[in-house]
Amino acid sequence: MKPLYDLINRDLKIAFFTSSNFLFTASFFILIVVLIPFIFGSDSEQLRIIFKGIIWISISLSILLTLERIFYSDYEDGSLDLILQRYESLEIIICAKYIAHWVINCLPLIVILPFLSLLFQLTFSDIFPILINLVIGSMGMVFVATFVSALTLGAKRTIFLKGIILIPLLVPFIIFGVDPHSWPILIALSMMSFVISIYASAYGLRLYGE
Amino acid sequence: MYLKLKKSYFDVLDRFTPFLIIMTIVSFIIGSYFALYGSPPDYIQGDSMRIMYVHVPSAWWALMSYSVLAVSCTIWFITRNPFFNLIAKSIAPIGAVFTLIALVTGSIWGKPTWGVWWVWDARLTSMLLLFFLYLAYIFLWQAISNKDLASKISAALAMIGFINVPIIKFSVDWWNTLHQPASISKLSSPSIDESMLIPLFIMAFASLCFLITMFSVRLRIEFIESRISRLRQKIYD
Repeated sequence: MKPLYDLINRDLKIAFFTSSNFLFTASFFILIVVLIPFIFGSDSEQLRIIFKGIIWISISLSILLTLERIFYSDYEDGSLDLILQRYESLEIIICAKYIAHWVINCLPLIVILPFLSLLFQLTFSDIFPILINLVIGSMGMVFVATFVSALTLGAKRTIFLKGIILIPLLVPFIIFGVDPHSWPILIALSMMSFVISIYASAYGLRLYGE
Repeated sequence: MYLKLKKSYFDVLDRFTPFLIIMTIVSFIIGSYFALYGSPPDYIQGDSMRIMYVHVPSAWWALMSYSVLAVSCTIWFITRNPFFNLIAKSIAPIGAVFTLIALVTGSIWGKPTWGVWWVWDARLTSMLLLFFLYLAYIFLWQAISNKDLASKISAALAMIGFINVPIIKFSVDWWNTLHQPASISKLSSPSIDESMLIPLFIMAFASLCFLITMFSVRLRIEFIESRISRLRQKIYD
Protein backbone atom coordinates (compact mmCIF):
# COMPACT_ATOMS: atom_id res chain seq x y z
CA MET A 1 0.00 0.00 0.00
CA LYS A 2 2.99 2.28 0.41
CA PRO A 3 3.40 3.04 -3.34
CA LEU A 4 -0.32 3.73 -3.66
CA TYR A 5 -0.18 6.14 -0.77
CA ASP A 6 2.96 7.83 -2.13
CA LEU A 7 1.49 8.34 -5.58
CA ILE A 8 -1.79 9.73 -4.27
CA ASN A 9 0.12 11.99 -1.93
CA ARG A 10 2.22 13.28 -4.81
CA ASP A 11 -0.80 14.09 -6.97
CA LEU A 12 -2.62 15.77 -4.12
CA LYS A 13 0.45 17.88 -3.31
CA ILE A 14 0.74 18.94 -6.95
CA ALA A 15 -2.94 19.84 -6.99
CA PHE A 16 -2.69 21.77 -3.79
CA PHE A 17 0.53 23.70 -4.22
CA THR A 18 0.80 24.43 -7.94
CA SER A 19 -1.15 26.45 -10.41
CA SER A 20 -3.30 23.47 -11.41
CA ASN A 21 -5.29 24.09 -8.30
CA PHE A 22 -8.29 21.97 -7.44
CA LEU A 23 -10.30 25.09 -6.72
CA PHE A 24 -10.41 25.73 -10.46
CA THR A 25 -12.77 22.88 -11.23
CA ALA A 26 -15.02 23.86 -8.33
CA SER A 27 -15.22 27.46 -9.49
CA PHE A 28 -15.79 26.30 -13.05
CA PHE A 29 -18.72 24.26 -11.78
CA ILE A 30 -20.18 27.21 -9.89
CA LEU A 31 -19.82 29.50 -12.91
CA ILE A 32 -21.60 27.07 -15.24
CA VAL A 33 -24.43 26.91 -12.71
CA VAL A 34 -24.49 30.70 -12.46
CA LEU A 35 -25.11 30.84 -16.20
CA ILE A 36 -28.37 28.88 -15.93
CA PRO A 37 -30.68 31.69 -14.71
CA PHE A 38 -29.31 34.03 -17.40
CA ILE A 39 -30.19 31.52 -20.10
CA PHE A 40 -33.49 30.13 -18.87
CA GLY A 41 -34.93 33.06 -16.92
CA SER A 42 -35.53 33.28 -13.20
CA ASP A 43 -38.65 31.12 -13.00
CA SER A 44 -37.75 29.01 -9.99
CA GLU A 45 -39.92 26.00 -10.90
CA GLN A 46 -38.26 25.64 -14.29
CA LEU A 47 -34.80 26.30 -12.87
CA ARG A 48 -35.19 23.48 -10.40
CA ILE A 49 -35.71 20.97 -13.22
CA ILE A 50 -32.88 22.37 -15.31
CA PHE A 51 -30.45 22.43 -12.41
CA LYS A 52 -30.60 18.66 -12.03
CA GLY A 53 -29.58 18.29 -15.67
CA ILE A 54 -26.94 20.98 -15.68
CA ILE A 55 -25.10 19.14 -12.90
CA TRP A 56 -24.38 16.30 -15.31
CA ILE A 57 -23.40 18.58 -18.16
CA SER A 58 -20.97 20.46 -15.98
CA ILE A 59 -19.46 17.34 -14.44
CA SER A 60 -18.85 15.81 -17.86
CA LEU A 61 -17.37 19.09 -19.06
CA SER A 62 -15.04 19.27 -16.10
CA ILE A 63 -14.03 15.64 -16.67
CA LEU A 64 -13.29 16.54 -20.27
CA LEU A 65 -11.32 19.67 -19.40
CA THR A 66 -9.18 17.91 -16.81
CA LEU A 67 -8.52 14.96 -19.11
CA GLU A 68 -5.06 16.23 -19.98
CA ARG A 69 -4.08 16.34 -16.33
CA ILE A 70 -4.51 12.62 -15.76
CA PHE A 71 -1.43 11.37 -17.55
CA TYR A 72 -0.57 13.97 -20.15
CA SER A 73 0.88 16.61 -17.82
CA ASP A 74 3.10 13.97 -16.22
CA TYR A 75 4.06 12.78 -19.69
CA GLU A 76 5.01 16.29 -20.77
CA ASP A 77 7.24 17.18 -17.87
CA GLY A 78 8.84 13.74 -17.92
CA SER A 79 7.75 12.60 -14.50
CA LEU A 80 5.73 9.76 -16.01
CA ASP A 81 9.04 8.17 -17.10
CA LEU A 82 10.32 8.28 -13.54
CA ILE A 83 7.06 6.94 -12.11
CA LEU A 84 7.07 4.05 -14.57
CA GLN A 85 10.69 3.24 -13.66
CA ARG A 86 10.21 3.60 -9.93
CA TYR A 87 7.04 1.51 -9.51
CA GLU A 88 6.82 -2.00 -10.87
CA SER A 89 3.09 -2.38 -10.94
CA LEU A 90 1.14 -0.40 -13.51
CA GLU A 91 -2.11 -1.23 -11.74
CA ILE A 92 -0.98 0.60 -8.60
CA ILE A 93 -0.09 3.68 -10.66
CA ILE A 94 -3.47 3.61 -12.38
CA CYS A 95 -5.44 3.07 -9.17
CA ALA A 96 -3.58 5.93 -7.53
CA LYS A 97 -4.53 8.10 -10.51
CA TYR A 98 -8.18 7.13 -10.14
CA ILE A 99 -8.31 8.06 -6.50
CA ALA A 100 -6.25 11.22 -6.78
CA HIS A 101 -8.06 12.49 -9.84
CA TRP A 102 -11.45 11.79 -8.33
CA VAL A 103 -10.54 13.52 -5.06
CA ILE A 104 -9.10 16.54 -6.85
CA ASN A 105 -11.68 17.05 -9.57
CA CYS A 106 -14.93 15.42 -8.54
CA LEU A 107 -15.02 15.57 -4.76
CA PRO A 108 -15.08 19.42 -4.64
CA LEU A 109 -18.10 19.43 -6.93
CA ILE A 110 -19.91 16.91 -4.77
CA VAL A 111 -19.12 18.88 -1.62
CA ILE A 112 -20.29 22.14 -3.19
CA LEU A 113 -23.46 20.70 -4.69
CA PRO A 114 -25.69 20.76 -1.56
CA PHE A 115 -24.83 24.43 -1.02
CA LEU A 116 -25.43 25.28 -4.66
CA SER A 117 -28.78 23.56 -4.59
CA LEU A 118 -29.85 26.00 -1.85
CA LEU A 119 -29.67 28.73 -4.49
CA PHE A 120 -32.36 26.88 -6.43
CA GLN A 121 -34.64 26.28 -3.44
CA LEU A 122 -33.94 22.57 -3.45
CA THR A 123 -34.00 20.83 -0.09
CA PHE A 124 -31.44 18.29 0.98
CA SER A 125 -33.93 15.44 0.55
CA ASP A 126 -34.34 16.47 -3.10
CA ILE A 127 -30.65 16.57 -3.73
CA PHE A 128 -29.62 13.46 -1.80
CA PRO A 129 -30.45 10.87 -4.57
CA ILE A 130 -28.66 13.02 -7.12
CA LEU A 131 -25.68 13.21 -4.80
CA ILE A 132 -25.45 9.42 -4.54
CA ASN A 133 -25.70 9.07 -8.31
CA LEU A 134 -23.11 11.75 -8.75
CA VAL A 135 -20.62 9.99 -6.46
CA ILE A 136 -21.00 6.66 -8.28
CA GLY A 137 -21.30 8.13 -11.75
CA SER A 138 -18.32 10.44 -11.43
CA MET A 139 -16.19 7.49 -10.34
CA GLY A 140 -17.21 5.62 -13.48
CA MET A 141 -16.51 8.69 -15.58
CA VAL A 142 -13.04 9.00 -14.05
CA PHE A 143 -12.33 5.35 -14.94
CA VAL A 144 -13.34 6.01 -18.55
CA ALA A 145 -11.42 9.28 -18.71
CA THR A 146 -8.29 7.61 -17.36
CA PHE A 147 -8.08 5.01 -20.09
CA VAL A 148 -8.90 7.53 -22.79
CA SER A 149 -6.09 9.69 -21.45
CA ALA A 150 -3.67 6.76 -21.26
CA LEU A 151 -4.50 5.53 -24.75
CA THR A 152 -4.17 8.94 -26.38
CA LEU A 153 -0.80 9.75 -24.81
CA GLY A 154 0.82 9.40 -28.22
CA ALA A 155 -1.56 11.84 -29.88
CA LYS A 156 -0.72 15.48 -30.06
CA ARG A 157 -2.50 18.03 -27.92
CA THR A 158 -5.92 17.43 -29.36
CA ILE A 159 -8.56 18.02 -26.73
CA PHE A 160 -11.34 17.88 -29.32
CA LEU A 161 -10.29 14.46 -30.54
CA LYS A 162 -10.24 13.24 -26.97
CA GLY A 163 -13.69 14.74 -26.52
CA ILE A 164 -15.02 12.85 -29.54
CA ILE A 165 -13.59 9.65 -28.10
CA LEU A 166 -14.72 10.32 -24.54
CA ILE A 167 -18.25 11.68 -24.80
CA PRO A 168 -19.94 8.67 -26.50
CA LEU A 169 -18.40 6.53 -23.75
CA LEU A 170 -19.90 8.82 -21.07
CA VAL A 171 -23.44 8.63 -22.46
CA PRO A 172 -24.53 5.54 -20.44
CA PHE A 173 -23.39 7.15 -17.19
CA ILE A 174 -25.37 10.29 -17.89
CA ILE A 175 -28.49 8.36 -18.91
CA PHE A 176 -28.52 6.33 -15.73
CA GLY A 177 -27.21 9.22 -13.66
CA VAL A 178 -30.15 11.54 -14.19
CA ASP A 179 -32.65 8.98 -12.92
CA PRO A 180 -32.53 8.82 -9.11
CA HIS A 181 -33.69 5.19 -8.93
CA SER A 182 -31.12 3.66 -11.22
CA TRP A 183 -28.10 3.69 -8.91
CA PRO A 184 -27.73 -0.13 -8.97
CA ILE A 185 -27.24 -0.04 -12.76
CA LEU A 186 -24.87 2.86 -12.32
CA ILE A 187 -22.81 0.81 -9.86
CA ALA A 188 -22.74 -2.09 -12.32
CA LEU A 189 -21.62 0.22 -15.13
CA SER A 190 -18.90 1.76 -12.99
CA MET A 191 -17.56 -1.63 -11.97
CA MET A 192 -17.56 -2.79 -15.57
CA SER A 193 -15.72 0.30 -16.70
CA PHE A 194 -13.25 -0.21 -13.84
CA VAL A 195 -12.36 -3.66 -15.16
CA ILE A 196 -12.03 -2.45 -18.75
CA SER A 197 -10.21 0.68 -17.70
CA ILE A 198 -7.51 -1.12 -15.71
CA TYR A 199 -6.56 -3.24 -18.72
CA ALA A 200 -6.89 -0.46 -21.27
CA SER A 201 -4.88 2.10 -19.28
CA ALA A 202 -2.17 -0.46 -18.52
CA TYR A 203 -2.03 -1.20 -22.24
CA GLY A 204 -1.74 2.50 -23.03
CA LEU A 205 1.00 3.08 -20.49
CA ARG A 206 2.89 0.00 -21.67
CA LEU A 207 2.74 1.29 -25.25
CA TYR A 208 4.17 4.56 -24.06
CA GLY A 209 6.87 2.79 -22.06
CA GLU A 210 8.13 0.90 -25.11
CA MET B 1 6.25 -5.79 -37.44
CA TYR B 2 6.73 -5.81 -41.19
CA LEU B 3 4.15 -6.26 -43.85
CA LYS B 4 4.50 -9.71 -45.35
CA LEU B 5 1.64 -9.03 -47.74
CA LYS B 6 2.50 -9.28 -51.38
CA LYS B 7 1.41 -6.85 -54.00
CA SER B 8 0.06 -9.69 -56.12
CA TYR B 9 -2.74 -10.33 -53.63
CA PHE B 10 -3.95 -6.83 -54.14
CA ASP B 11 -3.60 -7.03 -57.91
CA VAL B 12 -6.18 -9.81 -57.79
CA LEU B 13 -8.50 -7.37 -56.04
CA ASP B 14 -7.79 -4.86 -58.76
CA ARG B 15 -8.75 -7.39 -61.44
CA PHE B 16 -12.04 -8.05 -59.67
CA THR B 17 -12.94 -4.38 -59.35
CA PRO B 18 -14.54 -3.88 -62.83
CA PHE B 19 -16.63 -7.00 -62.28
CA LEU B 20 -17.78 -5.64 -58.91
CA ILE B 21 -18.60 -2.25 -60.40
CA ILE B 22 -20.72 -3.86 -63.14
CA MET B 23 -22.51 -6.01 -60.56
CA THR B 24 -23.20 -2.94 -58.42
CA ILE B 25 -24.61 -0.94 -61.33
CA VAL B 26 -26.77 -3.80 -62.64
CA SER B 27 -28.19 -4.68 -59.23
CA PHE B 28 -28.85 -1.01 -58.50
CA ILE B 29 -30.76 -0.64 -61.77
CA ILE B 30 -32.83 -3.78 -61.15
CA GLY B 31 -33.34 -2.85 -57.49
CA SER B 32 -34.41 0.71 -58.20
CA TYR B 33 -36.81 -0.48 -60.91
CA PHE B 34 -38.50 -2.76 -58.41
CA ALA B 35 -38.27 -0.18 -55.62
CA LEU B 36 -39.71 2.70 -57.67
CA TYR B 37 -42.15 1.01 -60.10
CA GLY B 38 -42.42 -2.69 -59.41
CA SER B 39 -43.63 -2.51 -55.83
CA PRO B 40 -46.90 -1.11 -54.49
CA PRO B 41 -46.89 2.05 -52.34
CA ASP B 42 -47.56 1.61 -48.66
CA TYR B 43 -51.24 2.09 -47.84
CA ILE B 44 -50.52 4.33 -44.85
CA GLN B 45 -47.32 6.11 -45.79
CA GLY B 46 -47.75 6.21 -49.57
CA ASP B 47 -44.73 6.71 -51.76
CA SER B 48 -42.54 8.13 -49.02
CA MET B 49 -42.12 4.56 -47.81
CA ARG B 50 -39.81 3.95 -50.77
CA ILE B 51 -37.03 5.68 -48.86
CA MET B 52 -36.88 2.44 -46.90
CA TYR B 53 -35.13 0.74 -49.84
CA VAL B 54 -32.12 2.98 -49.32
CA HIS B 55 -32.43 3.55 -45.60
CA VAL B 56 -32.72 0.02 -44.24
CA PRO B 57 -29.84 -1.54 -46.24
CA SER B 58 -27.49 1.29 -45.31
CA ALA B 59 -28.39 0.90 -41.64
CA TRP B 60 -27.73 -2.84 -41.87
CA TRP B 61 -24.36 -2.43 -43.56
CA ALA B 62 -23.38 0.38 -41.20
CA LEU B 63 -23.82 -1.96 -38.26
CA MET B 64 -22.14 -4.82 -40.09
CA SER B 65 -19.15 -2.64 -40.95
CA TYR B 66 -18.62 -1.80 -37.31
CA SER B 67 -18.70 -5.49 -36.46
CA VAL B 68 -16.16 -6.17 -39.21
CA LEU B 69 -14.03 -3.30 -37.91
CA ALA B 70 -14.10 -4.54 -34.32
CA VAL B 71 -13.64 -8.22 -35.16
CA SER B 72 -10.71 -7.53 -37.46
CA CYS B 73 -9.16 -5.30 -34.78
CA THR B 74 -9.55 -8.16 -32.30
CA ILE B 75 -7.97 -10.64 -34.70
CA TRP B 76 -5.16 -8.18 -35.32
CA PHE B 77 -4.71 -7.87 -31.58
CA ILE B 78 -4.28 -11.63 -31.22
CA THR B 79 -2.32 -12.50 -34.34
CA ARG B 80 -0.61 -9.16 -35.14
CA ASN B 81 -1.18 -9.90 -38.80
CA PRO B 82 -1.12 -6.48 -40.52
CA PHE B 83 -3.71 -7.56 -43.06
CA PHE B 84 -6.50 -7.27 -40.47
CA ASN B 85 -5.33 -3.82 -39.59
CA LEU B 86 -5.68 -2.82 -43.23
CA ILE B 87 -9.20 -4.26 -43.28
CA ALA B 88 -10.19 -2.25 -40.23
CA LYS B 89 -8.62 0.92 -41.51
CA SER B 90 -10.25 0.70 -44.92
CA ILE B 91 -13.74 -0.23 -43.74
CA ALA B 92 -14.00 2.60 -41.18
CA PRO B 93 -14.75 5.52 -43.58
CA ILE B 94 -17.17 3.36 -45.59
CA GLY B 95 -19.06 2.41 -42.44
CA ALA B 96 -19.14 6.04 -41.36
CA VAL B 97 -20.61 7.08 -44.71
CA PHE B 98 -23.24 4.33 -44.53
CA THR B 99 -24.17 5.48 -41.01
CA LEU B 100 -24.49 9.02 -42.31
CA ILE B 101 -26.67 7.86 -45.22
CA ALA B 102 -28.88 5.94 -42.80
CA LEU B 103 -29.22 8.99 -40.55
CA VAL B 104 -29.94 11.45 -43.37
CA THR B 105 -32.42 9.24 -45.23
CA GLY B 106 -34.02 8.38 -41.92
CA SER B 107 -34.62 12.00 -41.11
CA ILE B 108 -35.91 12.70 -44.63
CA TRP B 109 -38.29 9.78 -44.16
CA GLY B 110 -39.22 11.02 -40.73
CA LYS B 111 -40.51 14.36 -42.04
CA PRO B 112 -43.55 13.00 -43.96
CA THR B 113 -44.11 10.07 -41.60
CA TRP B 114 -43.73 11.56 -38.15
CA GLY B 115 -44.03 15.22 -39.12
CA VAL B 116 -40.60 16.07 -37.74
CA TRP B 117 -37.08 15.74 -39.04
CA TRP B 118 -35.75 14.12 -35.92
CA VAL B 119 -37.11 12.45 -32.81
CA TRP B 120 -34.95 11.43 -29.89
CA ASP B 121 -35.83 7.85 -30.54
CA ALA B 122 -33.62 5.07 -29.22
CA ARG B 123 -32.54 3.85 -32.63
CA LEU B 124 -31.76 7.26 -34.02
CA THR B 125 -29.75 8.30 -31.02
CA SER B 126 -27.69 5.15 -30.91
CA MET B 127 -26.99 5.42 -34.64
CA LEU B 128 -25.80 8.98 -34.09
CA LEU B 129 -23.46 7.78 -31.36
CA LEU B 130 -22.25 4.99 -33.65
CA PHE B 131 -21.34 7.65 -36.19
CA PHE B 132 -19.19 9.37 -33.59
CA LEU B 133 -17.52 6.08 -32.67
CA TYR B 134 -16.53 5.76 -36.33
CA LEU B 135 -15.29 9.35 -36.41
CA ALA B 136 -13.20 8.81 -33.29
CA TYR B 137 -11.55 5.79 -34.91
CA ILE B 138 -10.80 7.67 -38.14
CA PHE B 139 -9.53 10.81 -36.41
CA LEU B 140 -7.29 8.83 -34.10
CA TRP B 141 -5.48 7.40 -37.09
CA GLN B 142 -4.85 10.90 -38.38
CA ALA B 143 -3.83 12.42 -35.05
CA ILE B 144 -0.98 10.04 -34.32
CA SER B 145 1.98 10.44 -36.62
CA ASN B 146 3.64 7.16 -35.65
CA LYS B 147 1.56 4.66 -37.64
CA ASP B 148 2.70 1.65 -35.65
CA LEU B 149 1.48 3.28 -32.44
CA ALA B 150 -1.68 4.51 -34.16
CA SER B 151 -2.61 0.98 -35.22
CA LYS B 152 -2.19 -0.32 -31.67
CA ILE B 153 -4.20 2.46 -30.05
CA SER B 154 -7.00 2.56 -32.58
CA ALA B 155 -7.38 -1.22 -32.39
CA ALA B 156 -7.79 -1.00 -28.61
CA LEU B 157 -10.29 1.81 -29.03
CA ALA B 158 -12.32 -0.09 -31.62
CA MET B 159 -12.54 -3.07 -29.28
CA ILE B 160 -13.67 -0.90 -26.38
CA GLY B 161 -16.18 0.76 -28.67
CA PHE B 162 -17.52 -2.65 -29.64
CA ILE B 163 -18.08 -3.49 -25.98
CA ASN B 164 -19.72 -0.13 -25.61
CA VAL B 165 -22.15 -0.38 -28.55
CA PRO B 166 -24.54 -2.80 -26.76
CA ILE B 167 -24.23 -0.77 -23.55
CA ILE B 168 -25.13 2.42 -25.40
CA LYS B 169 -27.97 0.64 -27.17
CA PHE B 170 -29.31 -0.77 -23.91
CA SER B 171 -29.03 2.49 -21.99
CA VAL B 172 -30.57 4.55 -24.78
CA ASP B 173 -33.46 2.08 -25.02
CA TRP B 174 -33.93 2.32 -21.29
CA TRP B 175 -33.78 6.11 -21.37
CA ASN B 176 -36.26 6.18 -24.20
CA THR B 177 -38.83 4.03 -22.43
CA LEU B 178 -38.39 6.26 -19.43
CA HIS B 179 -39.02 9.53 -21.23
CA GLN B 180 -41.36 8.56 -24.03
CA PRO B 181 -43.77 5.88 -22.87
CA ALA B 182 -45.66 5.75 -26.17
CA SER B 183 -42.81 5.77 -28.63
CA ILE B 184 -43.63 6.16 -32.29
CA SER B 185 -43.06 2.65 -33.53
CA LYS B 186 -44.95 2.65 -36.77
CA LEU B 187 -41.81 1.23 -38.31
CA SER B 188 -41.68 -2.00 -36.43
CA SER B 189 -45.39 -2.79 -36.14
CA PRO B 190 -46.36 -4.04 -39.62
CA SER B 191 -44.60 -7.07 -40.96
CA ILE B 192 -43.36 -6.34 -44.45
CA ASP B 193 -45.20 -7.81 -47.39
CA GLU B 194 -43.36 -10.00 -49.87
CA SER B 195 -43.82 -7.50 -52.69
CA MET B 196 -41.76 -5.02 -50.68
CA LEU B 197 -39.36 -7.54 -49.24
CA ILE B 198 -37.95 -8.63 -52.58
CA PRO B 199 -36.95 -5.11 -53.74
CA LEU B 200 -35.55 -4.51 -50.28
CA PHE B 201 -33.30 -7.55 -50.59
CA ILE B 202 -32.22 -6.57 -54.11
CA MET B 203 -31.36 -3.08 -52.87
CA ALA B 204 -29.54 -4.56 -49.88
CA PHE B 205 -27.55 -6.74 -52.26
CA ALA B 206 -26.79 -3.72 -54.43
CA SER B 207 -25.53 -1.69 -51.50
CA LEU B 208 -23.49 -4.65 -50.31
CA CYS B 209 -21.88 -4.82 -53.75
CA PHE B 210 -21.20 -1.12 -53.56
CA LEU B 211 -19.66 -1.58 -50.12
CA ILE B 212 -17.44 -4.41 -51.31
CA THR B 213 -16.33 -2.41 -54.35
CA MET B 214 -15.38 0.58 -52.25
CA PHE B 215 -13.78 -1.70 -49.70
CA SER B 216 -11.57 -3.49 -52.22
CA VAL B 217 -10.48 -0.20 -53.75
CA ARG B 218 -9.70 1.27 -50.35
CA LEU B 219 -7.92 -1.88 -49.22
CA ARG B 220 -5.57 -1.61 -52.17
CA ILE B 221 -5.00 2.11 -51.50
CA GLU B 222 -4.26 1.46 -47.84
CA PHE B 223 -1.83 -1.29 -48.78
CA ILE B 224 0.01 0.99 -51.20
CA GLU B 225 0.05 3.81 -48.65
CA SER B 226 1.48 1.59 -45.95
CA ARG B 227 4.12 0.42 -48.38
CA ILE B 228 4.99 4.01 -49.31
CA SER B 229 5.30 5.05 -45.69
CA ARG B 230 7.53 2.06 -45.00
CA LEU B 231 9.77 2.91 -47.93
CA ARG B 232 9.94 6.51 -46.73
CA GLN B 233 10.92 5.25 -43.30
CA LYS B 234 13.68 3.17 -44.91
CA ILE B 235 15.05 6.23 -46.71
CA TYR B 236 15.21 8.21 -43.48
CA ASP B 237 16.91 5.34 -41.70
